Amino acid sequence: MARHEYPWKRRPGWWLRNPRYLAFQLREAGGVVCALYGLLLLNLLMQLREGESAYVAFLTMLRTPPVLYLNGVLFGLVLWHAISWFMLIGKAQPVQLTRKPLPWKAVFGINVVLWLGVSGAVVYLTFGWI
Amino acid sequence: MDGSDIAEEVRPARESIAWSPGRETVHADSESPPEVLLEPLFWGLFSVGGFITAFLFPVTLFLLFFAGPFGLWPTDPGAYDAFVARWQEPLVRLFFFVLIGGSLFHGTHRLKFMLVDAGLKGRGVEAFLDLGLNGIAIFGSLGALYYALRGWLF
Repeated sequence: MARHEYPWKRRPGWWLRNPRYLAFQLREAGGVVCALYGLLLLNLLMQLREGESAYVAFLTMLRTPPVLYLNGVLFGLVLWHAISWFMLIGKAQPVQLTRKPLPWKAVFGINVVLWLGVSGAVVYLTFGWI
Repeated sequence: MDGSDIAEEVRPARESIAWSPGRETVHADSESPPEVLLEPLFWGLFSVGGFITAFLFPVTLFLLFFAGPFGLWPTDPGAYDAFVARWQEPLVRLFFFVLIGGSLFHGTHRLKFMLVDAGLKGRGVEAFLDLGLNGIAIFGSLGALYYALRGWLF
């Protein structure tokens, strides 16, 4: 039997009709913003290689008020991406350590604790504590 | 109801097209679907990148871009002197390589499917998206690797 692909089309603005869809789309956008930050960090390393004046000029530009506020909005999307990623782990890949899979809220809690621990390790190992 | 009635009922059920794992009819002479090699690889990098960005990005971005300007940290970890001092450590170089590579593979893969969902469909368009976005992820990661090794190994 030949496979038949059903045509489907979402209506424009479908993701505004339900808070869950909006949360999903914001996580998708947060993932794309992560790639933008990846390119930004790559450029930071390029400027570091160029020398102090290039690095300081780039960092100063990032810290001018309009860029800083835009950065704040994008950072919010990255945070939502991280939190919603932890929320979906227990749903998309149920963790079965017991007879029944762990409830997603328990998996979310474990991930948040891990996240705080990993963040502490990053502060200590990558940035030398303070 | 006698036995023949039950047999009559069971037979059509076994030939049903309803989902029945392990009972799909296999035709030895039919063509097997083409083997997919790259797609699982990029999905795997997407997933690993998701974990990397979720766990490592928030604290890194906070310290580099917000802690200093808003006075939320005793020092400014993004300042040139502080960052250069930390950059001498191989672990810090490895950290930024993993962070940049993971975020690029995660974000570009996600962008591809956002664009496909938005209507950019078709074999040619999707091949173009694959080439362009995976190219950004691959060359960006290689760039991060270059800067991580430069001044340390060569």
